[in-house]
Amino acid sequence: MSAEMANEIKLISGRSHPDLSEKIAKRLGIEVARTISLNYSNQETSFTVGESVRDEDVFVMQSTATGDVNEGLMELLIIISACRTASARRITAVIPNFPYARQDKKDKSRAPISARLVANMLQTAGANHIVTVDLHASQIQGFFSVPVDNLYAEPSFLRYIRENFTAEDCVIVSPDAGGAKRATSIADHLNTAFALIHKERPRPNVVGRMVLVGNVVDKIAILVDDMADTCGTLVKAAAVLKENGAKSVLALVTHGILSGNAIETLNGSVLEALVVTNTVPLGDKVERCPKLRVIDISPTIAEAIRRTHNGESVSYLFTHAPV
Amino acid sequence: MVRNIVVLGGNSHPSLVESVCGALGLPPCNRILGKFSSGESRCEIQDSVRGKDVYIIQTGFGGNGARLNDHFMDLCIMISACKTGSARRVTAVLPLFPYSRQPDLPYKKSGAPLFKASSEDSKKDYTFDSVPPTPGPGMPKSAGLAGLAGLANGTDITNRLLKMSVTNGNESAAKLPNGNAKTDGDGFPFTNGTNGVNGSRELTPPTPKPASYTTHDYVNLSLVSSFQAKPGYKQWVAQAGTLVANLMTCAGADHVITMDLHDPQVQGFFDVPVDNLYGRPLLQQYIQRNIPNYKDAVIISPDAGGAKRATAIADSMQIDFALIHKERRPTRITDRQNASMILVGNVSDRVCILIDDIVDTGNTITRAAKLLKKEGATKIYALLTHGVFSDDAVSRINASALDKVVVTNSVPQAEHKARLGAKLDVLDIAPIFAEAIRRVHHGESISVLFNQN
Repeated sequence: MSAEMANEIKLISGRSHPDLSEKIAKRLGIEVARTISLNYSNQETSFTVGESVRDEDVFVMQSTATGDVNEGLMELLIIISACRTASARRITAVIPNFPYARQDKKDKSRAPISARLVANMLQTAGANHIVTVDLHASQIQGFFSVPVDNLYAEPSFLRYIRENFTAEDCVIVSPDAGGAKRATSIADHLNTAFALIHKERPRPNVVGRMVLVGNVVDKIAILVDDMADTCGTLVKAAAVLKENGAKSVLALVTHGILSGNAIETLNGSVLEALVVTNTVPLGDKVERCPKLRVIDISPTIAEAIRRTHNGESVSYLFTHAPV
Repeated sequence: MVRNIVVLGGNSHPSLVESVCGALGLPPCNRILGKFSSGESRCEIQDSVRGKDVYIIQTGFGGNGARLNDHFMDLCIMISACKTGSARRVTAVLPLFPYSRQPDLPYKKSGAPLFKASSEDSKKDYTFDSVPPTPGPGMPKSAGLAGLAGLANGTDITNRLLKMSVTNGNESAAKLPNGNAKTDGDGFPFTNGTNGVNGSRELTPPTPKPASYTTHDYVNLSLVSSFQAKPGYKQWVAQAGTLVANLMTCAGADHVITMDLHDPQVQGFFDVPVDNLYGRPLLQQYIQRNIPNYKDAVIISPDAGGAKRATAIADSMQIDFALIHKERRPTRITDRQNASMILVGNVSDRVCILIDDIVDTGNTITRAAKLLKKEGATKIYALLTHGVFSDDAVSRINASALDKVVVTNSVPQAEHKARLGAKLDVLDIAPIFAEAIRRVHHGESISVLFNQN
């Protein structure tokens, strides 16, 4: 109690994903800091600090919820800025699903690179360190001039597959060319076959024709991706895999954003199960979708926080999932 | 027709964008601005902005299906998109500046703070369990010394001090060993409502909302009133003004145009030029044209903070001035007791003109109107630059003693106008902003806009 008093972990939770914050706090054996954030009647966000953060190692947990990204982001920025004003020693933003991660390039004239804007905003607010999980493109780390720890859900997925299936029965499938690297990495670790679906995408949120490259006959096809948004891609990919003779199809996705009618789409699909981590608050979606399974990612994040605080290496977590 | 200039509108106030563009004689920039289904803002600017002077109009007001923070993020994204699209200069035009006004701590009508004081706070002793401990009576100077002193003679100075102030010493002694402050097991009940993200808006408080909260009515009062800071720590509310300024600069804004900042000091938060336009000429014009015998009226400032704003108008029009002083001191005020509002000046049998910069929940002006009626005012006008009318402001004003409320269209007023009817008059600020944009673009002085023309 004496020496470490001077600089402790302070975990501050935004409103978006209190459940995950609580799990992380429990894992770390601490309590979430006493703060309260709310909206005034004029919709401005207000954040009240109820305990000292002076010279503490502050971790701000905020995982922007589907449909309320800007609200969560502004809250996060206000919290970070408040902690900086309150003389925190270091402020780490823990953002399991990085908002605007998909807007990371200027794919059209005058399209904003919003991911870079978010990176700049976080630094402007006063974040000294970022912890996130499975960035859509790891190049986003380069938008920051502060350290970014990009954790992987892959070890958790590997464990899930090993616990539930025998590797020989499975084929790891990437639903698009961009995710091939992610999927091959899992296939290599499991020593299983790999397949890829090539798709044409005429417009965002619209899925075109799909072609399967590889053999999935009489296998359990496991689709691997980093985020499931409207689930159009996944569901179409699952149908293609079924047509090509897969025994069953399931999907392992890090961020279950599940916006729009994703739940209805999933319920009506040939997908056997969609396994997501709890980086994104899921609300009542688990109840509404019997196919949805959730892997708890909080041990990985908590361990990353502990290691960051103690100045230990985080790279162990890239290959191992803490039990 | 102005060349090489692009006016880009956000979603917060389309009608103002239209009239500003109309006044400048150019079409608004084509853009797609919406949301992806995931909730992320989507922005595409369809006209070229390369080498152009871009003005982005977005007001700090939630509405049109989006919320204030959405609009603010949209603004930052648009600024950033223009910057990456090689715009020569990007100017953010914010008729109402968001987060320019946040109270230190929310307070009740009575003046008592909304948050309960921490129960252990009343002891007024030390603040934290710190190591080395805070020195005090009954506490050894250091562990080593205390041991020595205790061995040498029993009546050392600390013991004598302890006897002199027994009660005080006992309390502090009881507080200092570790563990005491952490005995409360429920350190986590606040940020984790089961209500999800939108909880703040959608959660209906278990108790009916008392009508006695001012300035910024909280929607989830139950959360707030159950909040307790750590013992010995005084909770405080984050002020987002600087942050908002920094975020806009970091997005790439080269210039900011706004109107009637609640605190003119906000200008100092920016590293870029900020032009703070005044709604005053408009308001003065209204007084001259629409209030009969305005020379005999009295200008009233509903609180001391706005006195300067009101006296400026009173002075330049040579009208009498009065002030309402709000007692906000939380000196043993029971909840039921109202904060005393004191009128300084004479209003009996006269027309009163309340002047303020913003009407939010409408509490201040409606209560001021009540007081003025009591003091014998014949007719009460309220002239305000920004009419936010959040919460149940509209019904509050409808039920109040106010005869006329005059606001500018710095935020969309169509809905408010429909609900307030003839009680509300809306002044158009589009010409002022159009002229400011034109002058900034041509590098002319805009100080002429500050004076009444």
